[in-house]
This record gives sequence, C-alpha cells and structure tokens, in this order.
Amino acid sequence: MTVIARRLAGHLARGIVMILVVATISFFIVRNIPGDPVAARYQKLLEQGMSPEAAERATAVMYGFLPEGTLWQQYTDYMAGLFRFDLGVSVTHPGSPVTSVLGEAAKWTVLPVLAGTLLSFLVGVIMGVYAAIKRSGKLGDFLAISGSLLHGVPQYVLALLMGAIFTTLIPILPQGGTADILFEPGFNAGYIGSLIEHATLPVVTYALASYGGWILAMKSSVVTVLGDDFILAAELRGMRRSIIFRYVARNAILPLFTILALSLGLLFGGAIFIEKIFNYPGLGFLLIDSVVNRDYALMGGAFLLITAAIIVANILADLFYTVIDPRVRSGEEASA
Amino acid sequence: MPGQAPGVRIDGLTVVYKTPAGELPAVRDVALTLEPGTITGIVGESGSGKSTLALSLLNAVQPPGRIAAGSVDIDGLGDVVGLRGEELRKARGKHVGYVFQAAQNSLNPLKTVGKQVLDLGRSHGVEDLRGLVRDARELLGRMGLDGARVLDSHQHELSGGMRQRVGIMLALVLNAHLVVLDEPTTALDMITQANILKIVREVHAERGLTTLVITHDIGVVAEVADRLAVMYGGRLVEQGPTRQVLGDPRHPYTKGLIRAIPRLTGDIAEARALPGRPPTLTTVPERGCVFRDRCELRMDVCDTDDPAAVAHGDRIVACHAVKVREHA
Repeated sequence: MTVIARRLAGHLARGIVMILVVATISFFIVRNIPGDPVAARYQKLLEQGMSPEAAERATAVMYGFLPEGTLWQQYTDYMAGLFRFDLGVSVTHPGSPVTSVLGEAAKWTVLPVLAGTLLSFLVGVIMGVYAAIKRSGKLGDFLAISGSLLHGVPQYVLALLMGAIFTTLIPILPQGGTADILFEPGFNAGYIGSLIEHATLPVVTYALASYGGWILAMKSSVVTVLGDDFILAAELRGMRRSIIFRYVARNAILPLFTILALSLGLLFGGAIFIEKIFNYPGLGFLLIDSVVNRDYALMGGAFLLITAAIIVANILADLFYTVIDPRVRSGEEASA
Repeated sequence: MPGQAPGVRIDGLTVVYKTPAGELPAVRDVALTLEPGTITGIVGESGSGKSTLALSLLNAVQPPGRIAAGSVDIDGLGDVVGLRGEELRKARGKHVGYVFQAAQNSLNPLKTVGKQVLDLGRSHGVEDLRGLVRDARELLGRMGLDGARVLDSHQHELSGGMRQRVGIMLALVLNAHLVVLDEPTTALDMITQANILKIVREVHAERGLTTLVITHDIGVVAEVADRLAVMYGGRLVEQGPTRQVLGDPRHPYTKGLIRAIPRLTGDIAEARALPGRPPTLTTVPERGCVFRDRCELRMDVCDTDDPAAVAHGDRIVACHAVKVREHA
C-alpha cells in the first residue's frame, strides 16, 4: 500500500505542475490573441459609458485579472483565482461564473459519454475476443469488418444517420434536448424516463462510434497473446479451456486500459459532433458555443478542464496498473 | 515408484505442415522406441523436426501442421494420435509432462506460480489441492529452491534457472511418468545448465520416469541420455546407446556433427564445421537421402532411394553407404 501511496504522491505533484503549465500557456494565449479580448472588452465598456474604474472592475470580474497593469500582475491575479477555483465569468451566460457553467454542462456530458464509452468498451472487448478466436472463420471476418467500418465512419455521419433513422424513418426516439418539458425536473418516473429516452440516441451513437476501435484493438491484442508461449504451455499442461480463456483475456485486456483511461479523460471534452447534432447541452456543445461567441474565459476554462481530466485519468490508469499488473508493482519496489 | 515408467513406441510417424507449396513433411516416417525408465536424447539442428516430434508425443502439433500418418503408442494411454478433446487434454499434464525451453516464458505473467499450480490442479480434477501445493513445494525444495517463496512469486521475479525448475515442477507435480524436455538448458549459463541436467538425472531416477530430451547440444545428451537419436531433415538417421553412438558414429551426419565440436584441449582447427546447410521444409528432397547434398559418401542410389533404417544390434542407422560397408 505504501508503494501505491508513494506513487500517488509523485503523480499528484507532477499533475499539479502540468495543470499549472497548461493554465499559464492558456493565459498567455488568451492574452495574446489578436485583438486582445480583454482590452477590447474594457474599451467596449468604456464606450458604453462606464467609468474607467467600473469598467476595470467589470473586466476583472470577467477574466479574473485587471485589464490594465503589467502582464505579470495579471498573471498572478489569474493564477491566484485558479487556486480559488475562480475561472472568471462567462460572456455568453451573463452573471454566471465559468465554473458553474462548466459544471452545468458537465452534468449532461459525463454520464452519457461515460455510459457510451463503457458500453462500447464492454461490447467491443468481448466481440474482439471472438473476432480473434474465430479470425479464420466467417464470424471473425464479419466482426473485424464491422469494426473497421464503424471505426472508419466519421462520428457526425453516424450521428446524422442514427438521427435520420430513429427520429424520422422510424420515429421512436425524441429529436434532441435532454428531457421533455412536459415533465417536472426532479426525481419522478416521468422525468427520468424522458431523460433516458433523450439520452439513448447520443449514448448509442457514441458507443457505436467508439466500438470499432475497441474491437480492433482487442482483436489484435488477443491474437498477440494467443501466440505467446505460456498459452501453448498451458495447453500442453492440459489446462481447462475456461482457464486458458481467462489467461488470454486478462493478459490481452491490459494494454487496452491505457486507451480506456485516455478516452475517459477526453470525456470532459464532450462529444462535440454528437452533442451538436442531437442538441444535447454538454461540454462539447459548450466548447463550440464559446468558440463561436469568443467567450474566452469559458474557452480557457473548458480547455483547462479537459487537461485536468486527462491528467487525472492518466494517474488513475497508472494506479490501476499497479493493482492489476504484478510487473508494474514490483518494478516500483525495485527502483524505490 | 519404479515400474510405473511407461514405454513409448513411435512408428511410421509423419508430420506435415501446410504451406503455399502444399503439405510438406517436417517429420517423415520416424520410428523410435523409448524403453521404460530410460532417458532418450534427440539431437538435431534447428529445423530438423525435433521439436515437432516432441509435440507429437502429446498430439499437440500446432496448425498449420498435422500428424499425417503413424502412431505414438504410450503405455497406459494407447495411441495418442487417436486421442481427441477432453481425453487428450486430460492426458496432457497428467500422463505426459512437457517442459519448455528455459528462454520461453511458459508461465502466465499475471499470476503467481502457486496460483498456476492450483489452476493446473483444478483442470485435472485434483481434489486435494492443499496436498498438490505441498507436493509442488517439496518438488521445488528437492531442486534446491525455496519452495514457499517461489510459489509466491511471479514469473518476472524468477531467474532463468529458477523458471526452468518451476517448469520441471509443473511437468511432474501431477505425477506424470513420461516427461518431454524441449531444449531444457538452452539460454542458461554453464553452471545453471550443469545444475539443471543434474536435477533432470536425479529426478528421473527418483521418480521412475521415462524421459525424452530434445536438444541441439550434443554435450547435453552425452551428459544425461542412455540412448541417443540423431535427427536430420525430419528423419532419424542414427540411433543407439549414447556411448556407442558418440564413440563410434556410423552415419556420416553424426560423424560430421561430432567432428564439429571444438575440444577443450588440442588444436581449435581440429573442429571442422560440416559444409553446407541443413535442408528446410521447402528444400528437403522428396526422394532419396535427405543428407546427400552434404555427404562425403554420396552414391547414385542416394538420389533415388530413401535409405531404410536398418538395425545393427543395438544400433539403427539409415544410410546406403553404411549398409554397403556392413554387408561387404
């Protein structure tokens, strides 16, 4: 356990440094974007007849630092705000701090994308095993081809296709949004049912879009493990099929956890096309909106969130390996 | 426990591999008898078909290969070539133990040795799993290892020599009395090699085994084997008691092989490599002697007729030239 604790401490320290670096970079990018949005905002407020002090305060609230003053001063203000989880105020959502706007959108992204990712991971991995075992037969061919096909089709094409099929051709699912306005939001059957109904298309589309990658990755991983000496050895020792199957599956799935961790990190980037097409107000939707509306504070916040999420996901993946792969575990013991 | 050691009779064994050029034989018409309680060594260069022959003892030739003809009759099991499915699976491990090359990773990297012993026990319906682990620990202890510690270790925590002993333990722990060792000392350092060979000899005697050792290293067979069979191009070209074959080789290939060994004392130039290369699956001749291209004694008949394996007392040699000399 101390090994894991020491590992975790190291990771956290590195993670925090990385987040600070990314925050610094995004600060200077926002500050140096042609047209200087911060100064522009300040000018605009002045033109609207605000006093310089009031305009300064309003701009500072919005971006987290004063429009005038040295770059260094602005930077320290911004970073100090960061430590208070203050990312400034969104222009497009007047009066709402960026953090709460992000939090609201995250609600609509995390669960559906998480569900979609886990669903496609589960199905893809299981199908990948079959695709590998039956790789010289028709079933294997079919599975591999279905994987390549779904992997190759762009997400937005898939989303449009799914939308056309299930809302127009066979209209069994709602067009977009998060829930029917008929229902009172809250913990009641009607609302939750409507939530699930509305989430189905985005979740299934997301799952289909990533399923192809999983099945292909798992197939090649299983094929590699099947060729390993210890599988033949287990066979020659007369091990049961079910046990050999477990040997193969456990060894083959290991490298996939890295990819899974990364996709879970990307979760906070939202599924941009899918959310846009199904009009689902998640993080991807928000990101697009912030770019279109030049809402720099929101944009910076969204990027920072994605960065942090990926870093955290990587840390979790690494800790996870420490638990499931004995080689990683003792490697640490040896070097410590 | 002596008396349990099974005899093995391999007869007319032919193993073919499917290639784009059709099915080609890797082992052709091999006859070999393993007397109960003996250690037999098979020597051959890589590609001679010796590993394929070893796998045939478990009816485990891997696709695209298959046993095309012949029989492998093991006492207590019958002809394993006819075994299928569950019958075959249960024979593996329980009746015939197989030890992999030391350099190969024959253990699941994610599980401790002990857990894999348990998997083995469950696969073979062993009821007393506690007893099985105890046997495993004792076997490892017998081979000079700290049994409890090794059972608690993963593969990556063991050295090559330790892994090989674990491999031997796994082959024996279910009480198999026929053991096949495929290149048991390859990739081990000299001291570990000597150690493993000593263990093989001792365990063989103590447990009353019939043992088959496959190797490319004549030194290994000289050390452990009672009988020696020399393989070339998928054929057994010579076999007999180890001392006799090494001391007085008859087949020109065996002679060349022994001449190629550098001596510790004397001129290094005395060791002469055999000119030419061994045939591969695609270059092995369809008719006639497989060795003729490298043979000093080549005759016309060698191009057209397969030399039959002829017994001369204890020795069996497959060579036209030897036959001519013996009869002349």
